[in-house]
Amino acid sequence: MGSATVFPWLSVSILLPIAAALLIPFIPDQGDGKTIRWYALGVALITFLVTAGAYLNGYDPSVAGLQLIERVEWVPDLGLAWSVGADGLSMPLILLTSFITALAVLAAWPVTFKPRLFYFLILAMDGGQIAVFAVQDMLLFFLSWELELLPVYLLLAIWGAKKRQYAATKFILYTAGGSVFILLAALAMGFQGGGTPSFEYTTLAAKEFGTRFQLLAYAGLLIAFGVKLPIVPLHTWLPDAHGEATAPVHMLLAGILLKMGGYALLRFNVQLLPDAHAQFAPLLVVLGVVNIIYAALTSFAQRNLKRKIAYSSISHMGFVLIGIGSFSALGTSGAMLQMVSHGLIGASLFFLVGATYDRTHTLQLDEMGGVGQKMRKMFALWTVCSLASLALPGMSGFVSELMVFVGFVTSEAYSLSFRIVMAALAAVGVILTPIYLLSMLREIFFGKENTELVSHTKLVDAEPREIYVISCLLVPIIGIGLYPRLMTDSYRASIEALVQREEASMARMIPAGRQGLIRQNPPLAWISPGLEAQRPLLVAPLLP
Amino acid sequence: MPTALPLPVQLAWLIPIYGFLGVGLSLPWACGWFRLTGPRPAAYLNILVTMLAFLHGSLLMVIVLRDGSYSLSHDWFQTADLQLRLSFELSPTSLASLELVTGLSLLAQVFALGYLDKEWSLARFYALVGFFEGAMAGVVLSSSLFLTYFLLEMLTLSTYLLVGFWYAQPLVVTAARDAFLTKRVGDVLLLMGVVALSAWAGVMTFEDLYSWVPQAGLSPLAGNLLGLGLIAGPLGKCAQFPMHLWLDEAMEGPNPASILRNSVVVTCGALVLLRLMPILQLSPLSLAVLVALGSITAVGGSLVAIAQADIKRTLSYTTSAYMGLVFVAIALQLPAIALLLLFAHAVAKALLFMSVGSVIATTNCQDLSELGGMGSRMPATTLAFLVGGAGCTALVPLGCFWAFALTVEALGRTAPALAAIVLITNSLTLVNLTRVFRLVFLGPSQPKTRRAPEANWSMAVPMVALTVLVLVTPWIMARIDPVPGLASFSPQVLGWLILSSVLGLVIGSRIPLHKAWSRPIQSYWRVVQDLLAFDFYTDRIYRVTIVALVANLAMAIDWFDRRVVDGLVNRLGRLSLASAEGLRLGVSGQMQTYVLTGVVAIVLLLTSMSWLVR
Repeated sequence: MGSATVFPWLSVSILLPIAAALLIPFIPDQGDGKTIRWYALGVALITFLVTAGAYLNGYDPSVAGLQLIERVEWVPDLGLAWSVGADGLSMPLILLTSFITALAVLAAWPVTFKPRLFYFLILAMDGGQIAVFAVQDMLLFFLSWELELLPVYLLLAIWGAKKRQYAATKFILYTAGGSVFILLAALAMGFQGGGTPSFEYTTLAAKEFGTRFQLLAYAGLLIAFGVKLPIVPLHTWLPDAHGEATAPVHMLLAGILLKMGGYALLRFNVQLLPDAHAQFAPLLVVLGVVNIIYAALTSFAQRNLKRKIAYSSISHMGFVLIGIGSFSALGTSGAMLQMVSHGLIGASLFFLVGATYDRTHTLQLDEMGGVGQKMRKMFALWTVCSLASLALPGMSGFVSELMVFVGFVTSEAYSLSFRIVMAALAAVGVILTPIYLLSMLREIFFGKENTELVSHTKLVDAEPREIYVISCLLVPIIGIGLYPRLMTDSYRASIEALVQREEASMARMIPAGRQGLIRQNPPLAWISPGLEAQRPLLVAPLLP
Repeated sequence: MPTALPLPVQLAWLIPIYGFLGVGLSLPWACGWFRLTGPRPAAYLNILVTMLAFLHGSLLMVIVLRDGSYSLSHDWFQTADLQLRLSFELSPTSLASLELVTGLSLLAQVFALGYLDKEWSLARFYALVGFFEGAMAGVVLSSSLFLTYFLLEMLTLSTYLLVGFWYAQPLVVTAARDAFLTKRVGDVLLLMGVVALSAWAGVMTFEDLYSWVPQAGLSPLAGNLLGLGLIAGPLGKCAQFPMHLWLDEAMEGPNPASILRNSVVVTCGALVLLRLMPILQLSPLSLAVLVALGSITAVGGSLVAIAQADIKRTLSYTTSAYMGLVFVAIALQLPAIALLLLFAHAVAKALLFMSVGSVIATTNCQDLSELGGMGSRMPATTLAFLVGGAGCTALVPLGCFWAFALTVEALGRTAPALAAIVLITNSLTLVNLTRVFRLVFLGPSQPKTRRAPEANWSMAVPMVALTVLVLVTPWIMARIDPVPGLASFSPQVLGWLILSSVLGLVIGSRIPLHKAWSRPIQSYWRVVQDLLAFDFYTDRIYRVTIVALVANLAMAIDWFDRRVVDGLVNRLGRLSLASAEGLRLGVSGQMQTYVLTGVVAIVLLLTSMSWLVR
């Protein structure tokens, strides 16, 4: 694998947008951004094609391990190498990134304020985000994680709404605060065991960390990635950032940034620290359920459209957590699919929020109403995307949530009562989702026209560009919903390998004889009489 | 192996597709790409594909009656240990249901041509009906629990879209959402049942599940939870108490959709329950719940129907009541009777709704108190109402007479109380239908009905066709399942049945309907009237309990989120800013202090690191 003659797909897809972004100042333009946006769209599309080429030409979905490997020594003394590659965990997200970015550029068509800087940042972000998923070295990962921070900060602070400074500062403080833990953990893991420090995933995966070390590193990384995903007490940057960002930035935030958290959890916490994961997994499940219900209820109470959708994103990320904690290939695979699916659905909803705002000039639900009479196409698009978000069968969200549910319920790692209670609570969340989404649709579109609104804005129906963007997102949403193997096949082998590793360490960490919270018995034994005495362990004991 | 199958059987999976194909075919008109032709071509195309589905179904029926049942299966999704297959069963029962669905859908679509004559989004309506029909055709043929669940959700979706069809109307605003939410709660509970079954049984087709049941070995708690989850879906779909909240508002949708909803959609829900029946043996509790809820809905729904002033709502409550009877029959393991009752009810109720629809189309009015004297003006409509009403009750030996007689005969010995409920429902329905008939078709004309002409052709033709169909129902029922002759029923059963019908008819024709008396003077009668007219205040009870709970909880958590979680973050942020400001003022210019601070910080940091990386 990875011979030098092969076209360096991943490096090109990372470096091309960044190099192209650096050329932006030299593009002749009238100052209204009309040339630049075509240029940016072209670059984003080529990047998408490169990643698609990587998937089609260099990637074999049936192989569990790393593929498309490219490795160049960079700073040998530090053990730092430019090392990129893709496996089932990263390939779908790389594709998602370049796809959503291309659509975000199209969504940014009306941006006329400082277009050069805007598109520069968007393209830089494109490369940075692909790098986050593609790099195979923890220090590089940290660098690209930080590289992606800066453009988001500027995009928020310059193009945001009224409270943009506050939101941008909050975002950067939260994320930078979280990434301290990544650096700490990376250094600790790299230097651990002595010898030449190496930060490459493969080297780290081969190391034997002590249990206590793993637990500490896991906890630190959980905070860092929990900010990004986000996990509930660490989530408050998200509604503010989403509430202030413009539509294209929204799409990137919801479509890709949140997935970095989920990806990193799988990559580091599960893959590199499996022993700690065996201990922490129940906590992840509980946090996931809290995410789902807490954010769904908060979303219901929001009167601002953007914040409502922002909280719904948090709610959906709860399924990713449950899936990661499920100890089953099905559930983990569902978590992966939920990330891709929410990337598409979240991007489509946020795009629609932006498009609606362009017309109504308000985000307050109280000031809308009856908009459906003038904007019939917009109404239809909103309805379809909301239905996708509330996990209607036939759309991708349903498949992923079903996989997480079935995976968790069939998981042999937990006791029956724990599984029933958690699944029931998550189901409450699934019922809450249509409550807030349909109430939202009702308040925006149904009923009599709001005369106040109509009197001072012109409600124009969706234009072809907007319909095109949404259609591009709906094709994979419905495609995955009807034939999920389109997506799941691309990462199945990797997830299965990952779960095998998980289970091995579970067996090591929690001996079958121990009657604790996490159990190895086959599911049917749980319902036989006589075993009622075993209660689920909500928080695994840190020290045996 | 598949090559050995006859071509129509091989292509059976197309049947649900026909409906969905109709959606695709209507899109160009629904989206306004073809404006020159008007929306009519979309309607014709949909009627054409429905006809195709009907013919394909008939062809299959012939083959299946000759060769016996077939089952088909297609792989859909396999990952790890989740295997989902799309399985269809072609049996005489499922094909008969399919014919009912596609046949009534065809009639309702032709009817809609007349009813929605001047509707500007006709194409959108037909697209939605196509979707509706495709989902229903799938539900009746499906032999996999997962596929059934999937299609039930599609039905929920199309109900939402059809109820919300006239989205600018004030009442529709909440109606569509409530319809979706109530059914969705049922669907999600059903999904939990599906998930539990996939964990415990590991199989999804009904046949495999049936063979799993005897060896399931579930604890009573698990069995009961499973059973309750499984029945929730059909309960919501058939608007059974307490999940009937959406029913009255849902009647704000266009009438042709109501025809389908009140006849075949509820039938689909009940058929799903019928399919689940062997699995429910695991849970005696869920069977008891079914009997209890079915009885409550049967009697309560019939009573509420009598107090309604809206012509569609009054009939839709009757639908719920009848489904309650079907649920009781299913819970008591009387599948044949349940099927007969479903069939008889579906055709008769569809006819009643067509008749009502033609009244509404002519007068633009659904308020019973503003109608009257239409009998002489609309003979076909009147006849349709009479025949439909007769088919729905046990007055003359049409469909429901036989179904009721069989039920009473079967239950009379073992469960006389439930037999009494059947009789009471019959009486109350007759009271109501007689009342509605007097209000709409008899009596003096009113301003809105004075110049009412008979319905136009495209409404009259399907109505008359269905009238004939209802009249021959007993004959069809005899073909499906041999109905014994009158002599086979015991005299008591026939006596009670006829007594209950006559009683209902007499009360219905005697109750005073004059407007001045429509509001009783005695306060206790007024309380009763309000109680029934407002559906036992169900929506208010919901509003002060569940809705208030969710809303308040949402507000509380939002407050917590803003004040506590976010407040803490903001305070920390302010603290750090303030300390930075403070530090700025502490600049002394002394090099030594800086170095000392730096060294101390590095030492502290390294110490903590070394502890970490022991």
